[in-house]
Amino acid sequence: MTEISVSGIVEIIKKRYPSITVAEPSLIKGVTSFKASSGTDYLGVIRAFKEDLGFEYLDFLTAVDWKGAVDARGYIMDPNPNPFLPEGAVEQSEVKANPNFQYRDHFEVVVVLSNWKEKLKAAVRIELTRGNPRLPSLYDLWKTADWQERETFDLLGIEFEGHPNLKKILTPDFIQGHPLRKDYVHVKDQYD
Amino acid sequence: MAVRIERVPGGEFALTTADFFINWARESALWPLTFGLACCAIEMMGAYASRFDFDRMGVIPRPSPRQADVMIIAGTVVKKMAEPIRLIYAQMPEPKFVISMGSCANCGGPYYDSYSVVKGVDKIIPVDIYIAGCPPRPEALQFAITKLQEKIGRSSPTRSALATPYQEKGSRVW
Repeated sequence: MTEISVSGIVEIIKKRYPSITVAEPSLIKGVTSFKASSGTDYLGVIRAFKEDLGFEYLDFLTAVDWKGAVDARGYIMDPNPNPFLPEGAVEQSEVKANPNFQYRDHFEVVVVLSNWKEKLKAAVRIELTRGNPRLPSLYDLWKTADWQERETFDLLGIEFEGHPNLKKILTPDFIQGHPLRKDYVHVKDQYD
Repeated sequence: MAVRIERVPGGEFALTTADFFINWARESALWPLTFGLACCAIEMMGAYASRFDFDRMGVIPRPSPRQADVMIIAGTVVKKMAEPIRLIYAQMPEPKFVISMGSCANCGGPYYDSYSVVKGVDKIIPVDIYIAGCPPRPEALQFAITKLQEKIGRSSPTRSALATPYQEKGSRVW
């Protein structure tokens, strides 16, 4: 493989996958960020990154829930109903959504890859609709994806098709739902 | 009655009650379990180390619950850790005592609204001493140890059926 630079990657990706754009801001802590819309061939893009562009290492795979009232810096402005408030008590601070910020009602899966030869890092961000978040699993490309996808499934409820063992990994069995979703409502259990 | 020392020809002997003697033995060698859950454990380690030196109070951390008298719950108790804590507590021999160290172990602390944190370790096991603070300084833990020693000193093991009365059932009555 010949030498490759950030602009080179952008050129190649633009040529092959017109649905992929460089995200704004493009460079976050040395990681070039790419954005894919929800209909993109996710597995094909990641495979191209691994096999054609030399990004052979999966740093991590995670997801973000962009729903609801977060301000420009990402802080939640409209929290879930708090099940732990004493009876009759009200929240001490009433916070409202920031009207200047566009909220997006969907998830974003982030895959960060490394090219050790050229010392490059790339993040691929793909948007998922909220109703039925599904993606093909990266287990066949990297075995590392196993637990990372399980964690993403456990905390955010994104289903990875083709994963050999997609079940809870972090939360105890009695916790229902996916706690890192912005619309998660906690049900009290024996320890509350 | 505390201790009365009598001098006799050829030496001396001490007179005391069985309660005082047993309590004196118990409170002078409180061996805590080496068990830390979060940042309070760092303060606990600092308390064991040379600056505060709990060794001089007879407090020596033990690596096994079978050898321990005290469990210091130092840190946040998450719901997944609740069952192991119960198991460790059951493995400790009587008499056993529990010190709840810091806000998280007392009531959930800053994580009270979290989905994963137990709202106070006293929902799982009986607690003898609570220390406030986030985290408490080693002096506070030292104070808790002296308070626990006072508490042990007030008990009367010869009159109760169990070593510590019904601690297994969660009773706080002495």
